[in-house]
Amino acid sequence: MKQVNYIKRTPSGTIFDIVNVSLLVALSFLLLYPFWNQLIISLNDGLDAQRGGLYFWPRVFTLGNYEYIFKTAGMLRALGWSVLRVIVGTSTKLFATGMLAYITTVSYFSFHRQLRKMFLITMYISGGMIPIYLWMIKLHLIETFTVYWLPSLLGAYEMMIIASYIASLPDAMFESARMDGAKEFKIYLNIVLPLCVPVFAALGVMVAVGHWNSWFDIMIYNPSGNYDTLQMELRNILIQSDKVKKLMQDATVGSDAVKSAAARITSQSMRAATMMIVTIPIVAVYPFFQKYFVKGISIGAVKG
Amino acid sequence: MNHGAIGKYALWRRRLGRERELWFWSGLCIIWWVIFFLIPIYGIVYSFFNYTPGRALTWDRFVGLKNFISFFQSRDAWKIIRNTLVISGLNMTVGFMAPIILALQLDELRHGLFKKTVQTISYMPYFVSWVVVASLAIALLNSDGVVNEVIIKLGLSDKAIPFLTEGKYFWGLITVLNIWKTVGWSTILYMSAIAGIDQNLYEAGAVDGINRWGMVRYITLPSIMPTIVLLFILSIGNFLNLGYEQNLLLGQSTTREYWEIIDTYVYRYGIQLGRYSFSIAIGLMKSIIGIALVFIANGIARKYTQYSIM
Repeated sequence: MKQVNYIKRTPSGTIFDIVNVSLLVALSFLLLYPFWNQLIISLNDGLDAQRGGLYFWPRVFTLGNYEYIFKTAGMLRALGWSVLRVIVGTSTKLFATGMLAYITTVSYFSFHRQLRKMFLITMYISGGMIPIYLWMIKLHLIETFTVYWLPSLLGAYEMMIIASYIASLPDAMFESARMDGAKEFKIYLNIVLPLCVPVFAALGVMVAVGHWNSWFDIMIYNPSGNYDTLQMELRNILIQSDKVKKLMQDATVGSDAVKSAAARITSQSMRAATMMIVTIPIVAVYPFFQKYFVKGISIGAVKG
Repeated sequence: MNHGAIGKYALWRRRLGRERELWFWSGLCIIWWVIFFLIPIYGIVYSFFNYTPGRALTWDRFVGLKNFISFFQSRDAWKIIRNTLVISGLNMTVGFMAPIILALQLDELRHGLFKKTVQTISYMPYFVSWVVVASLAIALLNSDGVVNEVIIKLGLSDKAIPFLTEGKYFWGLITVLNIWKTVGWSTILYMSAIAGIDQNLYEAGAVDGINRWGMVRYITLPSIMPTIVLLFILSIGNFLNLGYEQNLLLGQSTTREYWEIIDTYVYRYGIQLGRYSFSIAIGLMKSIIGIALVFIANGIARKYTQYSIM
């Protein structure tokens, strides 16, 4: 932070500060308010919210919208797929890419440079959306859960960052383990992984957020909707109004309590509540991981 | 006589034996690389054929450049290219300047806690998905959303403004949303450049009697100019990758004329309409121009700054 103490406090400086701070307060409002607006709509009675005029506080407070969403089977399943995708996708990617990164740093291995180059190319060239799609059909990866994690298992960007971190560790550690006859995989498990926890945490948060947020691959690879995640449910509510009707019909066969709740739900309150369920996990973990996020981009930036 | 050869062979064998385990693990990585990177690239050749899934690719189905030519002959071509250039152009100008201004503003704050709070808030939209951002935009900007409610109440317009359903608003809408989502996050590199400025410059400036605005104008901005130039050059390489998620989510059939870009066109023709060869051809053209732009950007960066991305 800049120390500006040596600058005289002048009237023009004060005006400068006032203008600057008000602009930033306005910006913060513009960034935060949309979330707040949807939060209060999700906590307000659906029919009442349609009257409008809800700005800063719910008028008729209810948790009914959330209760209703969690009682419809589709949403709970979607939440399950979201969580599973984040866990499987993040852990496999970090573990496999970490191993790849470690191999590219083993200097006695005659192929380590070429291996690194092979993966660096993948950052600049790709087959493109349609050739990959056609190939996924041929591989029978369409309509599977595998398609969420296997095609993105090894990442060149993550490889570079982990490799540069490993390269900064003292080489003697690995050498002495090798002298003792340790297998490379053992070295990776017992030495590299524990030492790389900071870089794995930074990348892991990024990868996890990416998995949690992704929807396009679900739309093209799992069109039947059997593996829809929360993002996809939200997108369906957004794009297809008949999806909302279907979800509302689901409730008419439920218990009486569900039925009476369904009568007060609108597509507006449903969308707001779903959006909050998708957003709250991110907002909740974000302040704790902020430094890792920032670290992540800074490591990436100095690669040149 | 064969000593040399045997020696070499034995050396290789010893080496291979020592590296056996590493070859096993990298073998797995190479298999993945072949399956998920190399083979899809082969799919590019479909763009020169009239490809139907399930049928063998024989030479009588070879059509040469027909798929490429028919794109440029279609009525859509120029509109798609226009939309891509306009939206990307807006991102590279207005969208590029916004984080610079925000970084300069943040740097001028005296109060550490306020600065931290604004930064934390401004990073947040970067981490929510485009589905959420699109939902927020639709919820707030549609005809009975809170924005139109306020506009009518203040008397700025007597009826709701159709931000989402009328094509003429789309470019503005998508630019605002792109900035809304990324402006805070994009300040990080500028903030670290600003943190590296020599404090003596400001002290010297104070002695020379320049005011706060002068400090920004004559010290901070020139000091981070190399970062600005570098990031601008690198953004040239991403000129065609303007992101299609937001356009797919916010575009409606009535506004297609303004939001269809190359990527969404490839998606629509390839995956929704099943015209594989045609859409691969368009995607290939985009990739070739994209790679050329990356090389040009990298060349310029290497020549005029000491950084490069490759």
